[in-house]
Amino acid sequence: MKLECTIDSKSLTLHVNSTKPLSLMLIEDVGVKSMLSHCQGNACGNCIVLVNDVAVLSCIVPAFRLKDAKIRTFETFHRTRLCRDIERAYRTSGNKPCPDCYASKTLLIESILIELMSSTRSREEGMVDEKAIMQELSLNTCPCMDVTELLEITIQAFEYRRRRRGSN
Amino acid sequence: MEATRSPMIHQPRTLNELSLLFQRIENPLLWAGGTHLMSKSDFYPSPPNRQIIDLAEIEELKRISRTDRYVDIGSMVTTSSLLSAGKLVLPSILKSALGSIVNHITRRQITIGGAVCEPESRMAFSTALAVLDAQAEIRRWEEGRFASAWIPVNRLYDKNGSLLLRDAPFVLTKIRLGLEWGDFQRFVLIDNPIRKPDTAILVAFQATRNQTALTKVRFSASFPRKAFYISPELENQLSLLNLPIHPDRVNTISYEMVHDLMNRHESITEFQAERTRRVFESFLHELNIQTLS
Repeated sequence: MKLECTIDSKSLTLHVNSTKPLSLMLIEDVGVKSMLSHCQGNACGNCIVLVNDVAVLSCIVPAFRLKDAKIRTFETFHRTRLCRDIERAYRTSGNKPCPDCYASKTLLIESILIELMSSTRSREEGMVDEKAIMQELSLNTCPCMDVTELLEITIQAFEYRRRRRGSN
Repeated sequence: MEATRSPMIHQPRTLNELSLLFQRIENPLLWAGGTHLMSKSDFYPSPPNRQIIDLAEIEELKRISRTDRYVDIGSMVTTSSLLSAGKLVLPSILKSALGSIVNHITRRQITIGGAVCEPESRMAFSTALAVLDAQAEIRRWEEGRFASAWIPVNRLYDKNGSLLLRDAPFVLTKIRLGLEWGDFQRFVLIDNPIRKPDTAILVAFQATRNQTALTKVRFSASFPRKAFYISPELENQLSLLNLPIHPDRVNTISYEMVHDLMNRHESITEFQAERTRRVFESFLHELNIQTLS
């Protein structure tokens, strides 16, 4: 099928199999280097990308659901101010994910920050449900970091994001 | 070259359009959220002659409506949007079951219809629906038209948890829940059912307390890719009990339940059976504690 979509701010017309998973499209047809694995939907959590600013597991999204979609991978996300909040939190904690899952964990944290920022209570009072965040973080199965470390980083990044939004 | 071998995708906008597609296409593959289909190792590349009907554009299937007597949930409602529907629409047990699905990213993609019609394995949503006496509106394609019927969710599956409706093409359009929910509802999921199917259990329990008597007890347990357990005999036995239940009786009933479970489902490990027994027992103890406090 002919698929028109925007990937990392580039408008593309791709000729792909209609059921091809987005993760494979990004690896084989677009050559996205931050996408390292295709687990065939086994929920390894290493293929997160943003589709229309919503985080998805790209291994379970077929090509035919991507008409006119705006897809953002880590390759352009890491150049944004949003990513700087998370990278700053990595630096503050003195810990960061391994190269294999760095892109995916960062986008996973970003998806949690989007959720938290959309909740008035979280945004205005800084209240977070730690258990729910830990449940979200468990999506990525790479064992390079403990989930409590990731939780700390997420909360720290959320603080940076709130402060930045507050000062804007 | 790849494009020429692609399965054809149809995206109807109404149930009428869907009906017209059923007339034209023999044995189409219906696509709801796609999480199950995409996680099958042999799914991609799909056979090019298989035609797919994507249900995502049918607005009728995305509605949640509530009357004085029941709640109807469209089959294309995602678990994420159902969770945000609120307490008036959703019993707490369903909320717990939906919340147990690992994360928000997956919840946004899993649909209610996809979860109920997943062919091989029962997960959180079906397990919880089983104790809520939910009904599914099934439209079977028979003799060139859709014939609609309401079927209890319990009866959609065999004892292994496999979907029974395989003799004719069908569409699940909605799930109906009555509004008379029990005042004691519990849902427990232990271990990730996708990553650890040999140890995971999903257990749902609902009962109504009528002064000191226990009534309308419903209990179901699912074991991914192995079993779907419901026992009307056990439910009847529990429904006759007075609260508090003597601890010896709790012990006896829980062992009887496990004995019955293991007899019916040999594929369940002893570890899973013991886990189920303890969870079941904890529900009865909790009922006792609430009665005595």
